Amino acid sequence: MPEEEQSLITDEMRALIGVRGEPRTVVVREEDARRVRDVLGDSDPRYRDETGVAPPYVLSMLGGGQRMSGMPRVLPGGLMTQQEWRFFRPFVIGEALTAYQSVVDIRERLGGRYGHSVLVTMGIDYHNGGGDLVASFFETLTQFDPNAARKGE
Amino acid sequence: MTARYFEDVNVDDELEPEEKLPTEDMAIDFFGRGNPTNPAFADAEAAKRMGIGGALVPGMLKISWVTKYVSDWAGTDGAVRSVRIAFRRPDVAGRPLILAGRVVDKREEDSRKLIDIEVAILAEGEPSVRGNVQVELPSRG
Repeated sequence: MPEEEQSLITDEMRALIGVRGEPRTVVVREEDARRVRDVLGDSDPRYRDETGVAPPYVLSMLGGGQRMSGMPRVLPGGLMTQQEWRFFRPFVIGEALTAYQSVVDIRERLGGRYGHSVLVTMGIDYHNGGGDLVASFFETLTQFDPNAARKGE
Repeated sequence: MTARYFEDVNVDDELEPEEKLPTEDMAIDFFGRGNPTNPAFADAEAAKRMGIGGALVPGMLKISWVTKYVSDWAGTDGAVRSVRIAFRRPDVAGRPLILAGRVVDKREEDSRKLIDIEVAILAEGEPSVRGNVQVELPSRG
């Protein structure tokens, strides 16, 4: 096998798949819910201030910069290429959720726009105080070597 | 907003397209002015240094638009259950985007009435985002 086609994914990285990280607490903040609702111009009566319920897309605010911490980094370039949200219960304003992050998948792709790239999918499950799953978040970062990608153009 | 019922939906039904005009301010306001974000969202020059033609429209904003778009279609008693999106190419602030959708499946699963919708965000007629959304609708029965 030519050197450039050898796997970039190590056994240590594979061993991270499915391992749940330390729990982290995030709060469904009223100001976040109101701000994203207003930016989107959402007049859905289910998410008005007095309902105490946040719109589902408040999920975008639950994590911030910590969201991708713990992601195995294989190659220096990175583009968010996929995202998935799953909703099981409404988001309640003021509710503290426990977030568990894990590496869901690491795979490689040869050829294409980015050359030899590595796709890392991270997942976060958000549970309420009763232990119920409220929502899940998945994000795939396509990692690539910008120099190799340019050569392949 | 009104209710939409499972029985009234058919495969190949199309959602009314909706136009969005993303702006740099919108990206900043979405994350909050006090929250640090990718400089390419608010600064066209920073984005150009990254090889993008102008201020980048955040992926989180686009998936939120898709969620709201389908949630509005599903009506007051419907609920979005999942949204899966593939970002195919970057979008730039100031260029209009069109949200579009089409029903691709409807079925009952564990007594739940589920609808699968294929969605896209079109920039200058080409999809920059493709995805699938699942919604649960109420029944007339």
